Amino acid sequence: MQLYELGVREIAEGIREKKFSALEVFDECLHRTLACEGKMSALITTTADAGRAHARRVDEQIAKGGALGLLAGVPVILKDNICTHGIRTTAGSRILGRWAPPYSATVWELLSSAGAVLLGKSNMDEFAMGNTCGTSAFGPTANPWDVSRVPGGSSGGSAASVAAGYVPFALGSDTGGSIRQPASYCGIYGLKPTYGLVSRYGLIAYGSSLDQIGPFARSVEDMDLLMHVLARHDPKDSTSVDKSEIDFTRREKSRQPEKPLKGKRVALVKEFRDFTLDPPIADAMKRLIRIFEETGADIVEVSLPTVARYAVACYYAIAASEAHTNLARFDGVRYGYTVTTASDLKDMFEEVRSKGFGAEVKSRIIAGTCLTEPVRSEEYYVAATRVRTLIAEEFRKAFENVDCILQPVTPSLPAKIGEADEDAMKGYESDLYTLPVNMAGLPGFSFCTGYSQSGLPVGLQLVGPRWSDKNLLDMGFELEKILGTPKIAQRGN
Amino acid sequence: MPDKTGAGGALAFTPVIGIEIHIQLKTKSKVFCSCSADYTNDEPNSHICPVCMGLPGSMPVLNKTVVQQGMLAGMALNCTVQPTTYFFRKSYYYPDLPKGYQITQSDLPIAANGWLDIKDDAGNPKRIRINRLHLEEDVGKLHHSAADGRLEGAESSWVDYNRSGLPLAEIVSEPDVSSAYEAVEYVTMLRRRVRYVGASDVDLEKGMMRFDANVSVKCSDGRWGRRVEVKNMNSFRALERAIEYEIKRQSKILADGGEVLQETRHWNDVKGTTTASRVKEFYRKFIVEPDLPPLVVLPQWVEEVRATLPEMPNEKALRYVREMGLSEIDAAVLTDSIDVARYFEACVAAGANPLRAGNWVRTEVLRAVNDRQIGVKDLAVKPDALAELIRRIDDGRLSTTGAKNVFEVMLEGSSLSLDEAVRKSGAVEGGVGADALENLVRATFAANPDVIEEIRSGKDTKGKKIKFLQGLVMRETKGQARPDEVVAAIETLLKSE
Repeated sequence: MQLYELGVREIAEGIREKKFSALEVFDECLHRTLACEGKMSALITTTADAGRAHARRVDEQIAKGGALGLLAGVPVILKDNICTHGIRTTAGSRILGRWAPPYSATVWELLSSAGAVLLGKSNMDEFAMGNTCGTSAFGPTANPWDVSRVPGGSSGGSAASVAAGYVPFALGSDTGGSIRQPASYCGIYGLKPTYGLVSRYGLIAYGSSLDQIGPFARSVEDMDLLMHVLARHDPKDSTSVDKSEIDFTRREKSRQPEKPLKGKRVALVKEFRDFTLDPPIADAMKRLIRIFEETGADIVEVSLPTVARYAVACYYAIAASEAHTNLARFDGVRYGYTVTTASDLKDMFEEVRSKGFGAEVKSRIIAGTCLTEPVRSEEYYVAATRVRTLIAEEFRKAFENVDCILQPVTPSLPAKIGEADEDAMKGYESDLYTLPVNMAGLPGFSFCTGYSQSGLPVGLQLVGPRWSDKNLLDMGFELEKILGTPKIAQRGN
Repeated sequence: MPDKTGAGGALAFTPVIGIEIHIQLKTKSKVFCSCSADYTNDEPNSHICPVCMGLPGSMPVLNKTVVQQGMLAGMALNCTVQPTTYFFRKSYYYPDLPKGYQITQSDLPIAANGWLDIKDDAGNPKRIRINRLHLEEDVGKLHHSAADGRLEGAESSWVDYNRSGLPLAEIVSEPDVSSAYEAVEYVTMLRRRVRYVGASDVDLEKGMMRFDANVSVKCSDGRWGRRVEVKNMNSFRALERAIEYEIKRQSKILADGGEVLQETRHWNDVKGTTTASRVKEFYRKFIVEPDLPPLVVLPQWVEEVRATLPEMPNEKALRYVREMGLSEIDAAVLTDSIDVARYFEACVAAGANPLRAGNWVRTEVLRAVNDRQIGVKDLAVKPDALAELIRRIDDGRLSTTGAKNVFEVMLEGSSLSLDEAVRKSGAVEGGVGADALENLVRATFAANPDVIEEIRSGKDTKGKKIKFLQGLVMRETKGQARPDEVVAAIETLLKSE
């Protein structure tokens, strides 16, 4: 087995036990990365030198016998909307230019103080707006299971790099599915935590009330470890909640090992029955229902009519409204891309923003601007926020009687690069299974069920009530035993 | 105040004015980050961080002291503190606004429905209602390279974000103000009360209090002018002049049969005029600030803050008049600043006669404070020392002039005891000694035989000559003799000779 194939826990333990050094791990991961990047383009920035230096420091610490963090020497890739002190952070946009933040996101502070070593910053849809990586100013990323296909998005670079074995884990952000959908397309695990569980400080915002940072990994055990490090209350994020009572490292032992999910109530959404799924995904749903029944879980039905009918429209109204304020700061005055040819202030703003932003971002800024104009705000933005309350309430009621909902992540398998961007509305509709979760601030766990006949991974997701993240991972752990651990994709190299 | 213009006979114009005031709340740090709020004289952009620079990914954290100061200011203006309030993003583009939006409470404010009772132009009581006091963040400052510091003609402009993120309270009045005089009355009283509760230093020179006015006029023939927002007034005088100018301008337009346009105008303090804003006003769009949860103020906190409220200036002044017999004018002067009022009250509490203490504080103490450009708290003469000084005047141990000399000496050295100060000032306790006084009186008699003759011949029926002699003796003693003792000595000598 190659070092790059190991998981987070295995690497951390191996380094601690001096089976191999942090530098060896880093170099092998870097080697794997460089071997794949030609075909995949999963990274915007590779931090080889800084990463090697960091890995050496970890090795020195081990030699000295000093205290080690939980993730000491484990290489990581961060989505490029997560601020890293002194390292270029682009959010997949031209408008940030060569901006290197003078501060780090809280999640990177947490990971690096646990000893994780940065290997690179991953490609993403511009400002996380998109679900293919196709809106990135740095070009598309390929799916390592089929390089002619998209890896999903917006955290496509992070998902693809974990799937291809660049690193054992990566971070992404999920505003309407941007962790769960690429995790599904790339055949790995992805968790969108409950809103407020992981600090957003230092995440370049898209829709602030929807955004949440979460991990990608190739085993549920690794996901536990990462959530243990990441789920910390952060005084710098006023929406962060102290949930230190949740212990992600302790696994609840199932009382009946032969029927580990006995008594769990797993729901299907009645309204989703009307929507068509690609056969491999429909088959996966059937298979999972059978697995749940065989392991002792009860399959029940919940009704979410408001979610099914209004969530998509309301999501786009809210996301665009928040996005147009979050992106108003990019005016060329203080940092990032700017112009020197403008004749006056208005010209300067117009030129910077016209040239700096891509088409998808512009369309959402324009939408947000229109939806919040005084004459329309009540009818669109305010109405959407009211419906959002109803959606959250509908979920809350549904979860009074069930532990989680089993549902698809997307209705179809990854599209060919280029094709997915043609029909924007189709892209929007494909988000039906992911974005209501953000609207209600719920946790969503995307997992790989297996592979289609064409060799593409097929994912599904579990959605739970607020703060049930640990419960979803516990169920995922049982499923992993049955479904098998996700494999490393070998078509990107 | 109705303004008559000649046009078309006797049309009368009634101004309707609402005032918006921004005050900088007194805190150690900015409203959403821990940068220092005091940047006076510091280098531009030396008090900034990712949050107040609006860097991508940064997030605001509300400073609790700002909420407390907002509540205090609201209470000083008779507002009700609102239990649950929200923050919004108010979007517009300008280089001094680093995020492209301002975080503001807007119309779901921390405090609402207040009032201040002022006097109108005729001296009658009038209530100005206050719609709300809401919290928001300040923007940066632009510096233009043009010689006059204005944007026009500048080759380059620079932005200093030290001010960005300072805590502001915006106080919005109802359109109850009817004249420039009332406007000044209103803002004067508001400033005094806000300073009283310690919510702000409201230092106008440091830009801690800024004014906008919404001015419209109603014509006696039933026509209304549209509302004009006048911006950029940084002093009471500017506010007064801008309102006066705008009332005249709008009245003339209506008198000439024209229409007053709804617009934003900028006050030019040098020219003394308002000019229409060249920049077309943006739509000010609002969404809920998703990075800040709703602000919930528990009743217990409100009560804790309310318990720290001092007696307010009007009530204090009334009490001084009622309980201490001070004149209304003296009471008003003594209660203008809470520090002065506290000094005065401490003086009285230390046993000084209130009338005399009031007089001393109003004249000597305030003069000393003004001369030295210091706060009354920092005065070397503490209230109990002043009370002791006043007592020595009352019991005849010091003359008023002597006491003033002692006061001057004490101002220079706080470590001196009163007795040491008396010695150092050359003042003689108990006035001038009896023997010395008699000698002085004799000398004065000898030098003015004709005056003595006139008195003795009974021509000094009104006592003017005796007063003249008294004055001469007093001058000889440099004011340290007690006037009544001098008169007594003169009369004794007149009788004995």
